[in-house]
Amino acid sequence: MTDRRPRSFYVLFGIFLLFMMFLYGPMISILMLSVQGSDGGLVFPVRGFSTYWFEKLWAGTGQVEIGGALRRSFVLALVVMVLTVAISVLAGLAFRHRFRGSTVLLYVAISSLIVPSIVVSLGIALEFRLIDDAIKDLGVAWDIGWIQSGFVSALGPFTSGLGAHLTWTLPFGLLIMFAVFNRFDPAYEEAARDLGATPWQTFRHVTLPIIAPFLIGIAVFGFTLSWDELARSSQVMGSDNTLPMQLAAKTTTVTDPEIYALGSATTAGSVLFIIMMFTLVSLIQRRRRRLL
Amino acid sequence: MTELTDTVTEARQDRVSVKMSRRTGLVLAPYLQAAPMALVFFFFFVLPLAATIAVSFWQYTQYSIEPAFTLENYNDIFEGCLSDLPDLCTTFRTYLSTLKFCLIVWALTLTIGFTIAYFLAFHVRTLKFQVICFLLCTVPFWTSIVIRMISWIPLLGRNGLINETLISMGIIHVPLEGLIYSDFAVILSLTHLYTLFMVVPIFNSLMRIDRTLIEAARDAGASGFQVLTVVIIPLARPGILIGSIFVITVVMGDFLTMGIMGGQQIASVGKIIQTQMQFLQFPLAAANAVILLLAVLVGVWALLKLVDIRREL
Amino acid sequence: MTDTSRKTATTRRGVLKGAAALAGTAAFPAPFVHAQERVTLRYLSTAVNQSPSIAEKASEDLGIDIEYISVNTDEVPRRVITQPNSFDLVDSEYFSLPNLVPSGNMVGMDANRIDRIDDLATVIAEGKVEGENVGWDGTAPHEVLYLEDKDATTFASEPTEWITLIPTTYNADTLGLRPDLIDKEITSWASLLDPDFAGKTAIINIPSIGIMDAAMALEARGDISYGDKGNMTREEIDFTIEKLIEAKRAGQFRAFWSNFQESVNLMASGEVVIQSMWSPAVTAVRTQGIECVYQPLDEGYRAWASGFGLPRTIDGRKEDAAYEFINWFLSGWAGAHLSRQGYYPAVLDTAKEYMEPYEWAYWYEGEKAEQDILAPDGKVLEKAGAVRDGGSYWERMGAVTCWNAVMDENQYMVRKWNEFIAA
Repeated sequence: MTDRRPRSFYVLFGIFLLFMMFLYGPMISILMLSVQGSDGGLVFPVRGFSTYWFEKLWAGTGQVEIGGALRRSFVLALVVMVLTVAISVLAGLAFRHRFRGSTVLLYVAISSLIVPSIVVSLGIALEFRLIDDAIKDLGVAWDIGWIQSGFVSALGPFTSGLGAHLTWTLPFGLLIMFAVFNRFDPAYEEAARDLGATPWQTFRHVTLPIIAPFLIGIAVFGFTLSWDELARSSQVMGSDNTLPMQLAAKTTTVTDPEIYALGSATTAGSVLFIIMMFTLVSLIQRRRRRLL
Repeated sequence: MTELTDTVTEARQDRVSVKMSRRTGLVLAPYLQAAPMALVFFFFFVLPLAATIAVSFWQYTQYSIEPAFTLENYNDIFEGCLSDLPDLCTTFRTYLSTLKFCLIVWALTLTIGFTIAYFLAFHVRTLKFQVICFLLCTVPFWTSIVIRMISWIPLLGRNGLINETLISMGIIHVPLEGLIYSDFAVILSLTHLYTLFMVVPIFNSLMRIDRTLIEAARDAGASGFQVLTVVIIPLARPGILIGSIFVITVVMGDFLTMGIMGGQQIASVGKIIQTQMQFLQFPLAAANAVILLLAVLVGVWALLKLVDIRREL
Repeated sequence: MTDTSRKTATTRRGVLKGAAALAGTAAFPAPFVHAQERVTLRYLSTAVNQSPSIAEKASEDLGIDIEYISVNTDEVPRRVITQPNSFDLVDSEYFSLPNLVPSGNMVGMDANRIDRIDDLATVIAEGKVEGENVGWDGTAPHEVLYLEDKDATTFASEPTEWITLIPTTYNADTLGLRPDLIDKEITSWASLLDPDFAGKTAIINIPSIGIMDAAMALEARGDISYGDKGNMTREEIDFTIEKLIEAKRAGQFRAFWSNFQESVNLMASGEVVIQSMWSPAVTAVRTQGIECVYQPLDEGYRAWASGFGLPRTIDGRKEDAAYEFINWFLSGWAGAHLSRQGYYPAVLDTAKEYMEPYEWAYWYEGEKAEQDILAPDGKVLEKAGAVRDGGSYWERMGAVTCWNAVMDENQYMVRKWNEFIAA
């Protein structure tokens, strides 16, 4: 451990530091601009120091109205997270066996990852527009009152929006499951089965505990990918906005540093979230180590 | 005694029947397990793409789209593309410009991403520090893309921090104009946003390289550079390819970064699609989407020929 | 149900008219909805038109809750066309009407239910200011104000009982500039394309508006003389776009923007020193303590107007509430509030009643401010002694030469505009 590091270490370390500056520089400037006084502007120099813009953001009286979008995004991300974990684990189990269509499903999943998001978004928007038209025609044809007066659109955060997000999170979930099961030792399961465990018991008491930490990984991925998703959301949320959409709209419509306060606040929130998640993972691991 | 034999026989029979049903279950199970994912992809990916392809042949007015079979949308997109040669028509120009951003950002993220991943994998010695450094890299990724994008604006503006600093240091006398609302700003921002997508898979690949291989190469007299090019890079190929596919597809479809950082002046295919949707020219947007889709799929197909994603994870 | 409530509304209106006549024009329509459960109106428009104080005041006066749905300018017609029952009231630009009305998603408003229908500003209702015609190039509001009947999908050429949009705000746009960064006298739209300002101008990326700015600039520079710049032929569109692309490739534009605040930010940060601007945007730059001028030009102004419309699906209490709210909107408080931001309201007389005489003199009569002019939020906009750029209401609106436009060749124009953005 005490041997001298090669020269290349110092060069690479320097590059790493520069990269950190590149990553964090803009965030620090945002932080500085968000704690300006009440007469602060969108650009440097920093004018004064206060928490004015945070207070304004908190009170919801300023130009940035994000409460609704924030709640919507949060709930949507939670739903996406749960579904992503459940569906990915199921599919991961399926892919451990041969089944017809597995190659097609794999390729579809991978294409879903690489088809540009705007194309997926457009497609879902079109699909739902056609569905809307069909429902409206049906309403007229069969004279269904509530459709004619009350039906707005099938588009919405929890219909088309949820679907769009799943097309984005599921491929990641599936790929992580592949990685997990590639390293998975089936001997444990066989042992359980030999001891007479039902498939469900095997899964519940053997497989699941082993893959649990990775499921947290999938959950974190699912949550954040949905939480920060913009391109796929852009056309499919109907009349509601998610948080990133609201932010994107606000970047061009806000003329004061409140937007920076929001940026700093969301960054702090995400950092807290990661710290929580990692504590959770390390706790589980520690407990497991004790059990072993 | 008899009782005991009976119980044993019963149990055995039970197990046989369980085994039987388990066998039929085993055949069906993968299908049931894969069904939810298959359904999601069918409804929210396959059908939408089919709808896009169908609608790209439809007609439209300013307020409606109507089923038809017309090639007019494609015709409009490529209008003048042949007759104007050697001048490039807008469509070709847009694709070229998008491709240009793609290649530059790809090269940058790959170089930076590989270097960082290499540093983390081979030069950081303890796991604890590896995790810490890795987390440091990922924290910004957890902030909104939009926020990360606009955070460059106060730095790069005509009267931004960088210009002010350079002027006060006497390095320049007139503010640099090209820092924002320019190709430079777009490339900078995209690199900033997506380098991590290179770091993670490459880091993953590097960590899986058997260290004894490297030592063996050293013992066989390979120089540091040779170890890198002959041993490490080929073994890191899957990570490099996964990262590349990700960066390339994200940049190909990008409209937001080019919009905000390019002052809405820089063309990209994604942006054209988005604008056309804004003006309800859905069939035209769909036709553009189909073309973009083909372009991306051809590129990715070529890349995928080089790696089996399922094996390499 | 619909019929009864409508009857109630009509009789109430009759009573109210009498009451109003007695009590003077300031009387509010009595809040009839108070008696019942509160109605919420979903109000779709751009963020600029959605002042929280107006919603608050309306809720106080009428017992009607206003829920704002704020979207971008080009998103408004998109919503009306694709999701016509996602709102109860839309505040849309008049130039969108040639796209909206044929879709059949909007419904004609009954002129008899609008108290102030005869007092609408003449520039909107007739295209005239003090009896003189203003320029009608483009989609002039009076040309698209009336429908043949309630459900018609075509416009009426003569005034009828059915109104497409009741005006909310309107104004005349011109070039805004940063006098501290420009040492030239600016008198013409041609300056937008002046190579001296290369890299320091901007243009609005909403085709219906941007093309008009470009047309004003090109015509002023003498490049072309349009038949009707608000309704160009394909050749004229091609020529205009070609010239724009030329300018873009020569680095004329710093950025394109698509909403109010962006234009404010570009101007305030000094990225752009001359661009086409809305009067309130100029005001907004100035409240940041930055010099900015709304420059009247030889060729005149490009005007715009937006107004309230109703979706086809509205009925019952919501419909009554919508009329109630519109009548309240025209009754003065809102008009005065908007005036203090630099907009013009539909009915001038009622707005005047809610403004101090010195305010009226500054905002409308082009006179020196007798005391400090305050914005609605209490910030000082102008010190005493200042004069409003562009002069009085009549000077401004009288010098309008064209309106934001949807042309017959709109599809083609939008396609070409996209090419300009892409070029």
